[in-house]
Amino acid sequence: MSIEEQIIENAKEGKVLTHKCTSCGHLHLSTVYYCQKCGSKGFEDAILDGTGSIATYTIITVPPAGFEKYTPYAFAVLQLDNSELRISGFMGGIATPDDLPVGTRAKITGFDERGIIIEKQ
Amino acid sequence: MSFVEKVCVLGAGSTKYGKLADSIADITTQASVAAIESAGIDPKEIGASYISNVFGIADKQVHIGPVLMSRLGIPDKPSLTIESACGSGSVSFREAYANIAAGFYDCLIATGVEKVTHTGTEWTTTYFAYCSDFFYEGQAGASFPGLFASMARAYLTEFDATEEDFAAVAVKNHDNGVLNPKAHMQKKITVDDVMNSAVVASPLKLYDCCPFSDGASSVILCSEKFAKEHGGDYVEVIGSGRGGSPAALQGREQMTTIPSTKIASEAAYKMAGVTAKDVDFAEVHDCFTIAEVVDTEDLGFFDKGQGIQAIREGRTKLNSDISINPSGGLKSKGHPIGATGIGQVVEVYDQLTGKAGERTVKDAKVGLTHNFGATGASCAVHVFQSV
Repeated sequence: MSIEEQIIENAKEGKVLTHKCTSCGHLHLSTVYYCQKCGSKGFEDAILDGTGSIATYTIITVPPAGFEKYTPYAFAVLQLDNSELRISGFMGGIATPDDLPVGTRAKITGFDERGIIIEKQ
Repeated sequence: MSFVEKVCVLGAGSTKYGKLADSIADITTQASVAAIESAGIDPKEIGASYISNVFGIADKQVHIGPVLMSRLGIPDKPSLTIESACGSGSVSFREAYANIAAGFYDCLIATGVEKVTHTGTEWTTTYFAYCSDFFYEGQAGASFPGLFASMARAYLTEFDATEEDFAAVAVKNHDNGVLNPKAHMQKKITVDDVMNSAVVASPLKLYDCCPFSDGASSVILCSEKFAKEHGGDYVEVIGSGRGGSPAALQGREQMTTIPSTKIASEAAYKMAGVTAKDVDFAEVHDCFTIAEVVDTEDLGFFDKGQGIQAIREGRTKLNSDISINPSGGLKSKGHPIGATGIGQVVEVYDQLTGKAGERTVKDAKVGLTHNFGATGASCAVHVFQSV
């Protein structure tokens, strides 16, 4: 399985596959192959819960092709719990900023044609 | 770093920016001929071309370089086409700069072009999103307005700013663009116009966004020796810097700072032997109103979080503390993405050689260009001085 496929399989289980540097311990999303801190190539897999809080987001009303039927929707950046990592994804059912204050608790719940799916907890 | 040659800009030209009827090859040639005539050179003196373009495929012409060279009567001269998303123009300028600095050539042409408006909003929204880190961003439905809207919401959360403050950036740039006959959106707007325009990606509204534009811009770069022998108006390139950022917004330490801007500008200032305080005016990458606020902080004109205060106080208007985007910027002048970075150099050339007409920045000696690709994943900054 390619690295992107592994991330997708984990997302479907509500998890985030990360790479922990075996030299300095820095944590990355697993698409990174060399440590961004120390340059080392040694990583071990670390699987995190896909839970956290919304760091920022937008509600898209002029969508790219393929997203018309989901509009309006949110593209959100999730700050993962107990980690400095963030991960982006699609959130359906968000129509106004009142629906999603920054800091709202949310979690990864899947992956489909809309990319990584995030829902409110 | 040591260079063989000082590098100068000897001539500059642009088409109008907007919805253009002529083909991509035609407008590339029109801008290039304007630059050649501005420089007063013979095309045969050009050693090579650097062409910046992203979506040539939209107008059925990729590999534009040889087409341009053929039309300029110099089909034997080499060309290179460069893609770095919305930052393609400044990267192409940098490559041309480096080749002259290193002594490979005495005279080069750098031309940027884009022709996309005929494809419509859905095509452009969809294809521009391919400039993001697609696995994490475009794939999850992020548009470019959406990514900058995410940056805007982070800024609103972190600092004392309002959507009306962002709107003031658009108003200022339209005020400047009215004075620029080449601008796409040559009309004044108000804060209310921005606030009442349709939401594209909350909190950004239509008038927070630059337009999709067609257009081409071109400059002639040369060694100082060539410029002096030639005798025309020229400006000197005194600093050149490039930088990178994590491709996706999610990977940045702060989502309200663009690291590549800091890295590129620090390198350019160092090479030029100047600081941000020495810059009289700057053409910065204001693809969205939030971007200009972040740019003016990352370039060192204002402290972090203070860019918004500067807008509120009018400190970046034409002929105020520091004139930001005297051309009207991407917001009003328009954003033909492959041409934008070169178009900024055209503005600096016009400003520093007394050709900017009503929008002249008074007594300007030092100008800066700042242009990035995507959400600032790649960036180039150049510093220029009058001779």
